[in-house]
Amino acid sequence: MDLNRRRFLQFLGMGAVGTVSVSAAAAESSSLEDASGGYGVLVDTTECIGCRKCEYACNREHRLTDLPLERYEDTSVFETERWLQANAYTVVNRFPNPEDEAKPVFVKSQCLHCLDPACASACLVGALQRQENGAVTYDAWKCMGCRYCMVACPFQVPAYEYDNALTPQVRKCTLCATRTAQEGGLPACVEMCPQNCLTYGKRSELLALAHEKIDGNPELYEDHVYGETEAGGTSWLYLAARPFTELKFQEIGPEPIPRLTETIQHSIFKFGALPLMLYGMLGAVMRIARSGHGGHVETTAEEEVS
Amino acid sequence: MKYLIAIACVITASAYPSAAQEHPASDAGVPACITCHVSENPTEQDAALKGCPRPNAEGAPAHESSESPDFFILDKLSDIYVPVVFPHKLHASMTEMGIGCEQCHHNNPPGPILGCSACHEIKPEQANLKQPALKGAYHRQCLGCHREWNHETDCVVCHAKREPGHSVTLPADSTDIMGMLHPNIEEPEVKVYKAEDMEGTPFVSFHHREHVQLFGLKCTACHQRENCSSCHNSEQQALPREREDPHQDCIRCHTEQVNNDCTFCHAETERPGFDHERRTGFVLSTFHEGVACAQCHTQKGTFTGQKPECNACHAADWVPTKPIDHAVTGVALDETHAQLGCIDCHTNGIGTPAVCEACHEEKPDIAKWKP
Repeated sequence: MDLNRRRFLQFLGMGAVGTVSVSAAAAESSSLEDASGGYGVLVDTTECIGCRKCEYACNREHRLTDLPLERYEDTSVFETERWLQANAYTVVNRFPNPEDEAKPVFVKSQCLHCLDPACASACLVGALQRQENGAVTYDAWKCMGCRYCMVACPFQVPAYEYDNALTPQVRKCTLCATRTAQEGGLPACVEMCPQNCLTYGKRSELLALAHEKIDGNPELYEDHVYGETEAGGTSWLYLAARPFTELKFQEIGPEPIPRLTETIQHSIFKFGALPLMLYGMLGAVMRIARSGHGGHVETTAEEEVS
Repeated sequence: MKYLIAIACVITASAYPSAAQEHPASDAGVPACITCHVSENPTEQDAALKGCPRPNAEGAPAHESSESPDFFILDKLSDIYVPVVFPHKLHASMTEMGIGCEQCHHNNPPGPILGCSACHEIKPEQANLKQPALKGAYHRQCLGCHREWNHETDCVVCHAKREPGHSVTLPADSTDIMGMLHPNIEEPEVKVYKAEDMEGTPFVSFHHREHVQLFGLKCTACHQRENCSSCHNSEQQALPREREDPHQDCIRCHTEQVNNDCTFCHAETERPGFDHERRTGFVLSTFHEGVACAQCHTQKGTFTGQKPECNACHAADWVPTKPIDHAVTGVALDETHAQLGCIDCHTNGIGTPAVCEACHEEKPDIAKWKP
């Protein structure tokens, strides 16, 4: 077969059409309904007493810091708002309660493990992936350190080991994927929480429980389960007695973040539209150029004849 | 042999479903045997059932707080802290001001009082996410009050840190935690409230003793959710009780009046207590002193419509529930007559004069019978 440049490009174009359509189909199949079969944690902030035992359990489990137990009894840390860091997968913050000053609201923050995670969508190499059980996990071997995940995350969760010059990693809550893989295993924070503010279970059952709690005590709870719809739904769900904006939760719409970027990319490349347009345009330019050249030749020939 | 096996299979198959239907949980298959049974091998004769509180079970048996155990050592979960010494009797005596044992032992079925671990498992159960595990049950129970009470939620308030060689010992005296038990609370005779926003009729007189003694209300009919912080601040000083909405206490019984008739409670001046004679014209003191309201006013919540005639209530076949002192009528009965039924003399109905002629030829001299 005579494989000249044009044929090669045609062949390449067909290949591109095939690849794009396959990847688009794969993206559509992982719909949110399928994903919600995973596990998650329901946080009832009305029960939280701010003991910081979840921080202690997490740091011990992941060997993040070796602070002794007494240091977690220090409540002066609540005076400034803290946020997740490379050596802190979870932090508890205190917010004033206008209804009862003596009973402030405590909120535990960590990765919310989105059902359609923006970090995983942004990751070029697939280092971040959502597992079937709901955990969004990180593979340091695949990671190339671009930190797109940190930009993509609507909750500003992933942190980076900037002080590690040679082998820096992106750090965030793992939902204790190794512990929960065992029969009856619980995330370290859930197991440690003395008040049982944290309930680990199937996300669908946690949602039912959350609504049951709200219906059972509508005077106490805000009629909103944070994480039910936010960013397309998250595995961690929150109940609170105060409006979530007051507790510095992000206001995020129900549309999953990756939907926007992926829709743009997928529709551009759908059916190989962009390559076809490009090559079509190139072809047209070549044809015009060639026909212009050929016309000139013919005219000369005619002139010669006449 | 084949036939024998086949017959055995048929018998087993037909026997199994009937056995499964008898057992409540067999079809659902959710709870493990030990959820309800003490033994791993319960039999039909000896089911070895746990005293298992069900959500609908009501009423812990009545216990005096003095009967309750002094201390418990809560050591089932001890991990980073040493076990907690829980002064049980002290807390039991406090609940007498609330709803009693049930304040903590909720959903306890009739029978022995059960501890938290009888129902709350050490590990959270996926089948029952609503129920907190044992650790959550303990902490919520304690902090439910202590968080309100002095806002101290530090772990070391109850727990000592686990250190080598540390052992838990019980205090010698059950009262030495606070130094004293709560002094008696004197029941007020009458409380007069002033509602500033009710122009013209600001006074509400609440006759407390009357509600308890005359109307027979139990303390917990109104005092449903009391704990230390309802009356004390965190320095243990007694404070005047503050009510968010005082109507809520009254509305449980006086529903219609609270909703429709403010003057039922609110008046220009203080009001005297309940007086049956003044309210109804019927004097109670003569024959009916000490009779509970509900004995005559049998329809709950409706205290009207009784006729003043004796025989309206006391039908011909009326038998006194307890021996009556006939002398209050002005006629003292001798031994012989005291054994007769009411209707034997009062043949025209109770409340009508006795008819002596039914037995006696001559009317006896009643004047002699005066007490």
